[in-house]
Amino acid sequence: MVRAMEKYIRTGVKATPFCPGCGHGILMNSILRALDELNMDMKKMLFVSGIGCAAWIPSPHFNGDTLHTLHGRALAFATGAKLYNPDLCVMVISGDGDLSSIGGNHLIHAARRNLDLKVVCANNMIYGMTGGQVASTTPKGFKSSTTGEGNPHRPFDLCKLVAAAGATYVARYSVTQPLALIQALKKAIRHVGFSFIEVLSPCPTQFGRRNLMDRPEEMIQDLLRRCISEEEAEGLAEKELSEKIITGEFEP
Amino acid sequence: MISRWIKSPFPKGVYYFSGNEAAAEGAIAAGCRFYAGYPITPSSEIMERMAVRLKEVGGIFIQMEDEIASISAIIGASWAGAKAMTATSGPGFSLMQESIGYAAFTETPCVIIDVQRAGPCTGQATRVGSGDIMQAKWGSHGDYQVIALSPWSVQEMYDLTLRGFNLSERYRVPTLVMSDEAIGHLRENLSIHSKVEIWDRKKKRGRPPFGTEEEGGVPPMPAFGEGERLLVTGSTHDAFGFRKTDDPEVHSRLVDRINQKILRNRTEITETEDYYLEDSERAMIAYGFTARTSLYVVHQLRKEGRKIGMLRLKTLWPFPEEAVTTLGKRVKKVIVPEMNLGQVAGEVKKFCACEVISLHQTNGEVIGPETIMEMLKKI
Amino acid sequence: MSEMRQVRLSGFGGQGIVLAGLLLGQAGVMEGKYVTGSNSYGAQARGSGCKSEIVFSDHPIHYPHLIIADILVAMSQGAYQTYDEEVKESGIILYDRGRVVPNMELNVKQLGVSATEISLKKLKNKQVANIVMLGALVETTGIVSPRAIRKAIALHIPKRFQALNLKAFHKGMELGKQINA
Ligand SMILES: Cc1ncc(C[n+]2csc(CCOP(=O)(O)OP(=O)(O)O)c2C)c(N)n1
Ligand SMILES: [Mg+2]
Repeated sequence: MVRAMEKYIRTGVKATPFCPGCGHGILMNSILRALDELNMDMKKMLFVSGIGCAAWIPSPHFNGDTLHTLHGRALAFATGAKLYNPDLCVMVISGDGDLSSIGGNHLIHAARRNLDLKVVCANNMIYGMTGGQVASTTPKGFKSSTTGEGNPHRPFDLCKLVAAAGATYVARYSVTQPLALIQALKKAIRHVGFSFIEVLSPCPTQFGRRNLMDRPEEMIQDLLRRCISEEEAEGLAEKELSEKIITGEFEP
Repeated sequence: MISRWIKSPFPKGVYYFSGNEAAAEGAIAAGCRFYAGYPITPSSEIMERMAVRLKEVGGIFIQMEDEIASISAIIGASWAGAKAMTATSGPGFSLMQESIGYAAFTETPCVIIDVQRAGPCTGQATRVGSGDIMQAKWGSHGDYQVIALSPWSVQEMYDLTLRGFNLSERYRVPTLVMSDEAIGHLRENLSIHSKVEIWDRKKKRGRPPFGTEEEGGVPPMPAFGEGERLLVTGSTHDAFGFRKTDDPEVHSRLVDRINQKILRNRTEITETEDYYLEDSERAMIAYGFTARTSLYVVHQLRKEGRKIGMLRLKTLWPFPEEAVTTLGKRVKKVIVPEMNLGQVAGEVKKFCACEVISLHQTNGEVIGPETIMEMLKKI
Repeated sequence: MSEMRQVRLSGFGGQGIVLAGLLLGQAGVMEGKYVTGSNSYGAQARGSGCKSEIVFSDHPIHYPHLIIADILVAMSQGAYQTYDEEVKESGIILYDRGRVVPNMELNVKQLGVSATEISLKKLKNKQVANIVMLGALVETTGIVSPRAIRKAIALHIPKRFQALNLKAFHKGMELGKQINA
């Protein structure tokens, strides 16, 4: 079935700014499909984003109110807008660096308050926009423009972090799992409370290039191989498990 | 665009309020219905009163996780249609600077009260200072304007907070009330009248929210949820909000307009007061608490027959250039006492043709009459 | 008549100095006077030095802080020693008798008020020594009317403590009458 998606795209927008192979476009598409399936009124949607490639997913593309803010501060801006006008359906879409590093404090506090915000974190495990520096989400050992020998530190498990802080809907999917992702997005939109979806999104330009996955399809294949469900993870040996990414719903 | 008169939300009367309490009441009177803040001495009483009052008038109060979150939340609320405010002191004011620039560039009305304390850094938290005057103008990066007002009494904590909201709504600009510990904690008579004049941002459906025909104009500002499909960004943007991050013309036009809309209306915005200036040979230029001391000293010296007067700056930014220039032509010497190392004195020097002397004190205490007398004797 | 009167209340944190200052200033405003009030205390909320200064005038007050006291109230020895010399010659010092040993060489009128003692013994509550002192202050100086203080108490003191505070205030006034006689 062909869907009429134009109504979700702001008049005047012609193309997305993302690099070839970037996962952010697939995520963008998934969000709009979820909104369409729920028949959401774009006039009541507010999309808030920080700074970074991911922050450009809604702004200017989405045909609702969009608030493109400062690096790390999207959740604080969103909190003000949602509290003052609770009729708005407020979705925060931003990057891993934006939400969990510079904005990490706002993230845990927003989760603690359990305010009705739908947070989508586009996790490409790197600072994409600024040229591929290491992020709080870069896996240990991986290379970036500031960790030429490999990242010496452990990454955050973002889902565990926000769940511990009090988020009431928490899920992780990859853009290579679009159907499950759309279902999760729909659940988050319907959920009343703080919902958080971490979406793994490949960045061949900044991440793949430095980690032996130059071509976009290599990163997609890598995600397809590594993303498994909790059930699939059960029987695996520790060594095997260590390179896997567990996807699924973690809260409630 | 016109103002309207409303019934004061607080009963008419004369009260014995602290400056901080009065500021909260001024905000409520102006129609402030959203407050986000983070505790810091000596401003916290504003937040505490707002928590109580907003509940009473059906507004929203939230204590955020830090000052960056506080100012960001009020900007978000402002775009959702609220008149919104936060209050802080030096360290918090420093943290807020990036978002103040965002508010200036996105033309977001909001009010920030800075109850200044003795800096730099954590400095003396319970002591007074006015070291944030230049930061108020230059604290965020790039060329932008804010409006900054300087109350000298509890009454003006109320009046100028109210005026701050009105100016902020009229010009779509962040407005700062640059108070200090001595005024914030002072108790004094506060008169509240039965009616207050308030301004609201103008709205016009379908009009571009970030551009006007006139060069120094103020565009209309709709709110989220009104069906306008707003596109707000802190990146350089065209009249409709589309990002234009490599168009030199769009950038210079926008930067120019957000500056000109304030500078061209300077006479409308700035307020000063003259004391004994008709025949003065020397004059003090003072603001905030220090203007109280200065006026006291001027009165004393006048009793002795000395030809001294005072110009009080009620507005600090945009700087009241005209009043200062005029004074500089009239008198032989201008003396600027202030609780910093000469921040306003430096500005006065730019516009005064006569000699300008900076009298400064940065010991965490107010400048008392004796200190000014002594300083004056030396010159 | 352009009279300006400057009052300094001093003691240590926890004695209710700031509250007494608030009531005094509020009473002045209720009587139509111009009043300015400012407080200062050490870093801790309890125990360190504390003062509350109130200026009364029939005209708007330019410099809002106290310059020299017409009236000093000292509720502790430390406060007394810090401020006893900053009182006008025509002024008056009221000190808490049980807590302060006065310097009789000072050339100002001094009155000892058993504020803490009365508070403890007669009112069975150590928290209202400040209000007893306020009663004595109002009685001996006439700085504001007792009626205005009663109104200020009604405005600023929580309902359940009002009776106690009014009682303390009246005890203080009685005491004031006795010592000033
Ligand atoms: C205060 C501040 N510091 C740094 C930057 C520079 N900066 C812009 S985008 C970005 C990283 C964004 O990374 P992420 O949020 O992961 O988004 P991505 O580009 O990877 O999608 C940084 C550090 C900034 N804009 N503001
Ligand atoms: Mg990233």
